[in-house]
Amino acid sequence: MDKLLDVKGLKTHFHMHGYTVRAVDGVDFSLGVGETLGIVGESGCGKSQTSMSVMRLIPDPPGKIEAGEILLRGRDLLKISETEMRKIRGNNISMIFQEPMTSLNPVYSIGYQISEVLMLHRDMTKEDALKESVRLLKLVGMSDPEERVSEYPFQLSGGLRQRVMIAIAMACEPDIMIADEPTTALDVTIQAQILRLMADLKARTGTSIMFITHDLAVIASFADRVMVMYAGVVVEQAPVRDIFKKPLHPYTQGLLGSIPVLGEVKKRADGSRQLLNAIPGSLPDHRNFPKGCRFAPRCTKVMARCWEAEPALVPIEEGHQVRCFLHSDAVQETPAYAEVKRGQQRKWQRADRRAQNAGAGADTTGGRS
Amino acid sequence: MSDTLIKVTGLKKTFPVKASAFSSKSLTLRAVDGVDLELKRGETLGVVGESGCGKTTVGRCLLRLYEPDAGRVWLEPEASLVSQVSQIDESVAAMAEELGTLSGQPTKTTADKARVRTLKQQIARNKAHANELASTSDLLSMSRARLKANRRRIQMVFQDPWASLNPHMVVKDIVGEGPLEYGTHSGRELDRWVHELLEKVGLPPQAANRYPHEFSGGQRQRIGIARALALTPSLIVCDEPVSALDVSIQAQILNLLISLQDDFDLTFIFIAHDLSVVQYISDRVAVMYLGKVVETADSATLYANPRHPYTRSLLAAVPVADPDHPNELRPPEGDVPSPVNPPSGCTFHPRCRHRIDICDKVIPVLGKDQNGHVISCHNPPNG
Ligand SMILES: Nc1ncnc2c1ncn2[C@@H]1O[C@H](COP(=O)(O)OP(=O)(O)OP(=O)(O)O)[C@@H](O)[C@H]1O
Ligand SMILES: Nc1ncnc2c1ncn2[C@@H]1O[C@H](COP(=O)(O)OP(=O)(O)OP(=O)(O)O)[C@@H](O)[C@H]1O
Ligand code: SF4
Ligand code: SF4
Ligand SMILES: [Mg+2]
Ligand SMILES: [Mg+2]
Repeated sequence: MDKLLDVKGLKTHFHMHGYTVRAVDGVDFSLGVGETLGIVGESGCGKSQTSMSVMRLIPDPPGKIEAGEILLRGRDLLKISETEMRKIRGNNISMIFQEPMTSLNPVYSIGYQISEVLMLHRDMTKEDALKESVRLLKLVGMSDPEERVSEYPFQLSGGLRQRVMIAIAMACEPDIMIADEPTTALDVTIQAQILRLMADLKARTGTSIMFITHDLAVIASFADRVMVMYAGVVVEQAPVRDIFKKPLHPYTQGLLGSIPVLGEVKKRADGSRQLLNAIPGSLPDHRNFPKGCRFAPRCTKVMARCWEAEPALVPIEEGHQVRCFLHSDAVQETPAYAEVKRGQQRKWQRADRRAQNAGAGADTTGGRS
Repeated sequence: MSDTLIKVTGLKKTFPVKASAFSSKSLTLRAVDGVDLELKRGETLGVVGESGCGKTTVGRCLLRLYEPDAGRVWLEPEASLVSQVSQIDESVAAMAEELGTLSGQPTKTTADKARVRTLKQQIARNKAHANELASTSDLLSMSRARLKANRRRIQMVFQDPWASLNPHMVVKDIVGEGPLEYGTHSGRELDRWVHELLEKVGLPPQAANRYPHEFSGGQRQRIGIARALALTPSLIVCDEPVSALDVSIQAQILNLLISLQDDFDLTFIFIAHDLSVVQYISDRVAVMYLGKVVETADSATLYANPRHPYTRSLLAAVPVADPDHPNELRPPEGDVPSPVNPPSGCTFHPRCRHRIDICDKVIPVLGKDQNGHVISCHNPPNG
């Protein structure tokens, strides 16, 4: 698939009084033409800040994009002027958020708000823009769009507001639509309506979508490819089927073990309920990430070396990348770990083998040596 | 002792709402409109339905955090007593209906007037008699003193772990408040009990002297659970206890609730909008729509064989976390109508694919179908 968007080594940090939040800490991903990329991970892992970085909407200060490239069709968005970026935001990339109420202006009618975008980015006259607004509202499944254009956001339900947001986002037929938890605040029934609408629009226009959510079921039904984030980095990236059927990273495996699947009855032989495979502990504080693998404190397969160096994100199979020493010895080359020597790696491998031989058993099968 | 821990009959709760921001006219919002539920000891009943269908209101009525307009909440009732009282309640309802028709007539004969008078007297007398009988085990008609003794047996865990804990109290006082009020523990013994509870919910002993803001969302929910356990209740109403939490923390809390259920011999009402979670944790599930229960079924069969058209649409709206699943979402169309002005007949009729002629005229009643599902529908789809 053609790379429409290619993000390399993206780092976005927030400089607070006395400490730094490494919200996005070296993220690489790409988005193909017409592709839907699902981004999952726990609250605070950097999903929103990754997409805000792509839009260059990081509040500065305290935030700052420290490093990386964001290539849209080969052009680095971090090197262009703010004026040019504003055009990109209207014409090429648009965004919808979790809470449409905060992104819609309460004092203007929805018709006015859609028309404004059309007049600005598609050079339409006022009358044409209003006509086009009605068409767009119809496109997003609004009944009676001719009357609805003159309504105000507070007169609409959450689902209808999200439809308006999508209408605005689609107004300029963007190449990329970033949807940040667009259905999280909605009922499942309304969520399903919105997901169907987005799938329809995508089929019609070929827009690529970055879909951020913490709901794995939504990801399974909607994404082509999935990127799993943990504490500011990508820990696994693969086609949606691989993520669900053969997850490689212990964190991805943990997430999948944590959710009950609709229709699967989890009962033990004696009729009592089977517990979920919950991941112990919680996300590390951004102020003191572990020195090695960021998931080490919660990982059930942690090995000696996991505490000392950070694994790198490496392709294991076609299109399947993972950041874990169980699958590759590659170390993330960061300044802090630059001094990591080959000899040290061998030492860890010996330690792991000893641990394995000590007979802990089943779960320490990793460490391909 | 009977097998039934809680039996809810005919529960109703309305709220007055203003017709608009500028009007002083008041309208009635039927939040809960005649709900029946029954829970066996040790059972978990899931309650699902779209936002605003009345799930939280049912829970709050059980704790009498809201004062219901009508209905009974039986705690460990004798079956014979329930049926005796229900008979009287039904006759009162029939008389009330007759009274309604009579008073609605524009002109009344002398005989009518006399009838109205007797009806009023009989209704008052029968109501008082039913309440008197019920007062031994109906939380809504029992005396203050008896209520106080029984109230502690039902506790609640709330959705929002940020808002539901008093920010000015340390954990040990939050958890120990109930036992202190009821005098079940005090002094050194209370400290020991609080430590035991904290350990049970997976918090370190040091947590006792800290304030809620020092904890993460998942830890706060653990504090809320410890507080609910402190009076060793029989029933805990869990109102969306994991909705605000991340998936991995959600799993920890679900596991905790399941193990506590065994340890403390608990019965749960588990309210949530996530059907996968509800199906996983519940033995039986009640599906609510606009203040009414439209279907209850065993949680395993609910998914495999939903009967009510609303349950079907609701399930068809939920994506399954499996990319091989077809996931062709077929949600019901449109939004939930307003509970201030619900549709006539079956309130689901404007969104129903199986609607027939009588659906907008006659209110369907809950009844058992041949497969043991309890549904209220004039035209349940087959298969
Ligand atoms: N303006 C800000 N100032 C300081 N820190 C911030 C700011 N915005 C975000 N952060 C921090 O950056 C980290 C990543 O935040 P981000 O919003 O990307 O998380 P997320 O993955 O989208 O989480 P959620 O699922 O809760 O939306 C968090 O630790 C957050 O506290
Ligand atoms: N204190 C109140 N005053 C007025 N109306 C109320 C009050 N509490 C609830 N309602 C209304 O009663 C109806 C049922 O509300 P309830 O909170 O029980 O729904 P719910 O099923 O718990 O919804 P959710 O899934 O959003 O929590 C709603 O229409 C709500 O607006
Ligand atoms: S690198 Fe080590 S700690 Fe990190 S996920 Fe892999 S096994 Fe676990
Ligand atoms: S009673 Fe009629 S409208 Fe209501 S759910 Fe059944 S078929 Fe549909
Ligand atoms: Mg976010
Ligand atoms: Mg509620």
